[in-house]
Amino acid sequence: MLQIVFDSLTRAAELSLMAVGLTMVYSLLRFPNFAHVESATIGAYAALFFSTTLGLAFLPAAVLAILLTAVLGVVFDKLVFGHLRDRSDIILMIASFALGIGIRQVFLLFWGPRPHFFSVGWGSALSIGGAHITPVQIGVIVTAVVCMLLFHLLLNRTRMGIAMRASADNSVLAEASGIRTERIVTAVWLLGSGMAGVAGVLLALDTQIQPNMGVAVIIPVFGAAIMGRIGNPYGAMAGALIFGFAENFGLGINWAPLLQTVGLTSADFAFIPAGYKEAVPFAVLIVVLIWRPQGLFGRVTR
Amino acid sequence: MIQFLIYLLTIISIWGILALSLNIQYGITGLVNLGHIAFFMIGGYVSTVLVILLGWPIGLAMAGGTVAAGLYGIVLALPTSGLQQDYWAICTLAAAEIVRMFFLNTTFGDPYTGGSFGVSDIPQPLHDVFSGAAYPYFYLVLSAVCLLACWALAEWITSTPYGRLLKALREGDEVPLALGKQVRSARIRAMGVGGALAGLAGALFVHFNAFVSPNYFLPIETFLVWAMVIVGGGGSHRGVLVGTVVIQTVFTSSRFLKGVLPVDPSTLGPARMILIAVLVISVLIFLPDGVVPERKRLYSPVRRGGGT
Repeated sequence: MLQIVFDSLTRAAELSLMAVGLTMVYSLLRFPNFAHVESATIGAYAALFFSTTLGLAFLPAAVLAILLTAVLGVVFDKLVFGHLRDRSDIILMIASFALGIGIRQVFLLFWGPRPHFFSVGWGSALSIGGAHITPVQIGVIVTAVVCMLLFHLLLNRTRMGIAMRASADNSVLAEASGIRTERIVTAVWLLGSGMAGVAGVLLALDTQIQPNMGVAVIIPVFGAAIMGRIGNPYGAMAGALIFGFAENFGLGINWAPLLQTVGLTSADFAFIPAGYKEAVPFAVLIVVLIWRPQGLFGRVTR
Repeated sequence: MIQFLIYLLTIISIWGILALSLNIQYGITGLVNLGHIAFFMIGGYVSTVLVILLGWPIGLAMAGGTVAAGLYGIVLALPTSGLQQDYWAICTLAAAEIVRMFFLNTTFGDPYTGGSFGVSDIPQPLHDVFSGAAYPYFYLVLSAVCLLACWALAEWITSTPYGRLLKALREGDEVPLALGKQVRSARIRAMGVGGALAGLAGALFVHFNAFVSPNYFLPIETFLVWAMVIVGGGGSHRGVLVGTVVIQTVFTSSRFLKGVLPVDPSTLGPARMILIAVLVISVLIFLPDGVVPERKRLYSPVRRGGGT
């Protein structure tokens, strides 16, 4: 049981870093950026490039990679989304879908489909109460918590953060109050892509680096953002926790007692087959969208 | 060379049907379906299963695949037809991946048929009648006839009052609602019709390919269909067919270029997708209506004062 908790927390840490950036861009520019998760892939490959190809130590390589990812977020905005500001959200959405595919293929082109790994050698797994947690997992969780705290302070204690929240809430009103929205947009792209870059480096440490690593988590990331109500970074964090736990618990739980009560099965064990592991977040997301499209923590506004 | 041309034209015909079906959903109705490949997959798989397991005649099985894909569209749209388009897009994307995982984890008959192994030796229609060399020509004619029929159907639907309602929905729910139209039911029917056409394309594809595996239906294939619609011009049936020719030629010709250019195939694969992605984004920015824009039509001509 404790094992599931550790695994879920690690997963939630990685998801939250991506979901927070997604929800900020989503609420500011009013479109779901399907290319957002590719920033994680960029972060991971950039760290690989700086550490393996250029021979830097892991930490400076990771910092450089995260900075590069943040800047690339702004570059993509200037190249693609900036030209489409006055168009419908549908067009922006399709453009982001195309951009995501293009970015993924660039990695396939230069690094091939084979997975790559970091070897940081941070020692072996610790055993806590019969469950195993690796130093990497601890690092992932601590980094995510620190990032979230910093982000919280930025949002609430700095002029930039307050302007960000105001623009996300109502960009026309914010602009009328003298906030320069285009600067806020740039800041949000920097922050959002940078955090996704951090998530990418963490994912790379925890699992492996491959071109599909970003798109593989697109559904739980979107799910977390939607579940927490678009534009609400704290909701996105909570959503990431829910999705992290749902994925691991959905597989680890014996559903037989529940199914027996409903009369669906008489077997003593009923687990979701492992082949469907990735389907769990997809199903949760569809249920959330149909049941409460305004998010679990949102109010009905009609 | 001639074999390659026949192959390319057949693939273009099949994908043309697929592009037309997405055009009914997106171009006409404005539904952002990012899981379009699921219809193609269901059409193909249902037709395969009906032929191999239940021994249906191929024509009937293809019709079964078509109907099954249409039903999937209706079932998917029933609970989701009230969602905003961004949520709808995410929903369809997730649903398509669930469908793919279902076929990835399900075997038919024996444990080595279906699942990740795929299904091989799928029977081809009228294979006994047309001997080896003539068969590709026959299949091209079959696919082209299907494409023309689907094109005619799509144009006909667009010209009916229902088609005009779909076009009105594309511009927003308010006007159709104010006129007392059933917007949700209209959307559900559009998903059904578009889905059925895509299912027919899928059935044509598996019997042409004689092999099917879940790996043919990754989300990137949905992107290819979208590229055809966007490049051609959403809403214009002629346009998406032009888009199909352009995109499928770029995509398929890498097979042909393999022997001509001194480039590694593992470079050519990603390079062609990058090219297509750049093409799509450029068209979105510089040619918002596509290469062949939809013709604007006035259904009730406005009389100008002083004229006739």
